[in-house]
Amino acid sequence: MAERYREIKAMEQSLAQSGLRYVGRPRPNREAATKVTGEARYIDDLRFPGMLHAKLLLSPHAHARIVRIDTSEAERLPGVRAIVHYFNSPHNAYNSAARFYGDNSPFIMPETEYIFDEVVRFVGDRVAAVAADDEFIAEEAVRRIRVEYEPLPAVFDELKALEPGAPQANPYGLDGGNICGGRLAYGGKEGRPATEQEVLDVIESADLVVEDTFRVSKVHHGYIEPVCHIAHYSRDGKLTVWTPSQSVFCFRDVIAQALGLPHSRVRVIKGLVGGGFGGKLEVMHEPVVALLAMRTNRHVKLRLTRKEVFLATRSRHAGVLTVRSGVNRDGKLQGTLMRSILNTGAYAGAGPNTIGAQSGKLFILYDAPAMFYDGVAVYTNTPPAGAMRGYGCPQVMIARETHTDHICRLLKMDPVEFRLRNVLQPHAVNCRGQNVHNARIADCIRAGAEAFGWTERRRAAEATHGGRLRRGVGVGLGVHGAGWYPVYQDLTTVIIRLHDDGTAVLLTGTHDLGTGSRTILAQIAGEILTIDPDLIEVIEADTDVTPLDLGAQASRTTYVAGNATIMAARNLRQQLLDEASRMWKLPAEALTLADGHVVARDDPSRRASIAEVVASAQRGSAGGPQRELLAAESFESLDAIDSYAADFCEVEVDTETGQTRVLDFLAVHNSGRVINPLLFEGQVHGGIHMGLGYALSEEMEIDPQTGEVKNTSFKKYRMFRAGDMPRIRVLTIEEPEEAGPFGGKSIGECATDPVAGCVVNAVSHAIGAELRQIPLTPARVLAALRQRSA
Amino acid sequence: MEEQVPLELLVNGERHSLLVGRRWTLLYVLRDVLNLTGPKYGCGTGDCGACKVLIDGEAINACTYLATRAAGKEVVTIEGLTPPDGRLNPIQQAFVDAGAVQCGFCTPGMIITATALLRRNPRPTREEIVGALDNNLCRCTGYVKIVEAIELAAARMRGDALWPSVTAR
Repeated sequence: MAERYREIKAMEQSLAQSGLRYVGRPRPNREAATKVTGEARYIDDLRFPGMLHAKLLLSPHAHARIVRIDTSEAERLPGVRAIVHYFNSPHNAYNSAARFYGDNSPFIMPETEYIFDEVVRFVGDRVAAVAADDEFIAEEAVRRIRVEYEPLPAVFDELKALEPGAPQANPYGLDGGNICGGRLAYGGKEGRPATEQEVLDVIESADLVVEDTFRVSKVHHGYIEPVCHIAHYSRDGKLTVWTPSQSVFCFRDVIAQALGLPHSRVRVIKGLVGGGFGGKLEVMHEPVVALLAMRTNRHVKLRLTRKEVFLATRSRHAGVLTVRSGVNRDGKLQGTLMRSILNTGAYAGAGPNTIGAQSGKLFILYDAPAMFYDGVAVYTNTPPAGAMRGYGCPQVMIARETHTDHICRLLKMDPVEFRLRNVLQPHAVNCRGQNVHNARIADCIRAGAEAFGWTERRRAAEATHGGRLRRGVGVGLGVHGAGWYPVYQDLTTVIIRLHDDGTAVLLTGTHDLGTGSRTILAQIAGEILTIDPDLIEVIEADTDVTPLDLGAQASRTTYVAGNATIMAARNLRQQLLDEASRMWKLPAEALTLADGHVVARDDPSRRASIAEVVASAQRGSAGGPQRELLAAESFESLDAIDSYAADFCEVEVDTETGQTRVLDFLAVHNSGRVINPLLFEGQVHGGIHMGLGYALSEEMEIDPQTGEVKNTSFKKYRMFRAGDMPRIRVLTIEEPEEAGPFGGKSIGECATDPVAGCVVNAVSHAIGAELRQIPLTPARVLAALRQRSA
Repeated sequence: MEEQVPLELLVNGERHSLLVGRRWTLLYVLRDVLNLTGPKYGCGTGDCGACKVLIDGEAINACTYLATRAAGKEVVTIEGLTPPDGRLNPIQQAFVDAGAVQCGFCTPGMIITATALLRRNPRPTREEIVGALDNNLCRCTGYVKIVEAIELAAARMRGDALWPSVTAR
């Protein structure tokens, strides 16, 4: 506690010197008081008169054609109001992960889903849905629906799905096989595009060529709030959907497409999100609930059970990644080639786009003359994978970082020293010719190694390597963007309106997932307008009320929405100065904003509160037209900005039980200037939690015979509990990024990306074995130990 | 329909005479009959703790607790722990100040657990706090600031002023 006290005091001192009043200061989530009292209403907490309850019938087969559905027994049940299924619903194809209107490229976003299809393609796929007066009746009605299936051959493993003659899991597979979308392959050499052969030539000519193959498991977001939607369809033809969405405008477009409605007739309102992490970025069952609402003209609610969440929502892509590098004896990396096969499950969703996101990450961490990425997403008859914090990057980082440590062992070189020799330097141009801007990864490594006591702790850990309990110390790097420039349009709009008492309301289409984006946008606007952020209301994500935004994804909110907020606030600041200039007959350049007032720079006695200036504008009393002071600005991201992290950890492995405990964890982040340190730390802590489970305990186990997810409860799907967590420290390298809001970049995903690789490297250090698959369950650790001694 | 039985329930100091199904959980009765939506459905199997309420002072998962078992017992939900005057109680305030609230879905259950802990042990060690949280899952915070919040609440409730307000401006 005393240590914490000193940290807070030091932070206060440095803030006093910065000249910033609100930006850079810790500030709790603005709606926290409603959450600690139970007053906050999530979708499942909303109550509407006459609201019906929906229940889904999920497929018990991994792959089957629906021959017949008999709902007569279910319809006889009093209280059943509507039943929908393939034979009585519209058949409009869509992609649940569409990123913007018209996003339907067969290469990136194949439209493979329907509200209900004639064929079910995984255990948990939708067969039918019931709306009834209460959830007990809905459940009983679902039990009474008789379905005749014609089973079809199925495939679950991504490698088996690629074998010739494998069952086709989805008819959209390329050339009758299971490749989803298309293969993505490209590379760079010395600043220009390069072929695979050119890059391989560089790799093979190095002193040492190393290749590793790593297998990653399917994991779930594990948000504590189960997926829940409410829909209502009014008699005048308006569909309203309340859902814990990370991207309401995309949801509107997909729901409208699935139901054949114009966008003006669909309103999607973001509810409070009880944990997102990408799991609420794709449309889930909203189209079904909307259809039930249209059939009944009532409010209809669907809330999944936890088991249904595991069976019938999205998850992180399992896959197999192979990395081949050439490195010279002096420890200089010459080239790297990565091949990635991701299991996208039964539908395309974000599969090919995740491959795209993966590919970019290969090129922006290490510096080498040549690199190549080659990836495919593969259909299987398993629950569809989708967006999850990191979006393909944790897979890249674990394969890459364990491979890097393997190279270090072969070269007998220290992992920190090797990384310092090979990471990209600030403003470097990589092998594809991209500038990496203010990439401070080397600073993160140096600061982390010193703060963690890398050299001494490595040595001390090695002293335990003869015993039963063996310690290991590892490092792992990570990188993530702050938006998706230049992949497709990356814009957001912010509107700020000034009230007549000098307070303000900010309207944004962005989505606060509990991450605090509403809080930091108010801090940013408040800094420029010199208004206390507590007096700036922030209204978020409602397709009929707020301006356009393309979602809480790609770690883009701070950078993209932060910059839009700066533009709108600066615009409004100028309007205030212009109005005061009219009031005082002084040039606007002679005026400034300070402490909630417009003041004349040379004459501090000339001073008017923001409220007075707003009143002057609204009344037209200074001679201008009567008008409201408001500003709307769209920000267009025109830079690929990346955040960096170096993680360090110490683990202890029990060589008799195979149990691994993480003892200590240090995360060093370069996210530019941190807008709100309290929320920033929270992001890092949560990212570490997710990465630790990925490395050690979490895995959706697919039954190899039936394709069913076997562990569908939190008892069997093991997320880290409080007692499993190590001590955690967070350091920041706050070198500002020129294009960022007040120099800020991003944090959400970069918090998770490096964690699992860091942990696996530490376990490898502890037991002296190469580890090539996560999670490192006790059984896998024991197998690695046996293999080592054999 | 399932047969319903009468139940006298004492919740947050108020008596309710209800008719409930024999298989209804306490969570269902609280949320869907009494409209107390502070306790959350997170898993339905007693593994996540989002539904915790105090039953005779003990933090219990309401999602696996049959409503009829609560007869004659004192049930307190997060709503019942909240002062009526618009302020927060010291544990709630500490969760806000320490930044322990992100998505907030686990928060009511966390505060129920913390309340039960601090009532029986006003001076818990870090290990005792972590131990008490064994049946509460959080996916946002890595538990770091939740543990800090409970330490902060305990310190403030004891009148120990060592801890500064992290939100002091």
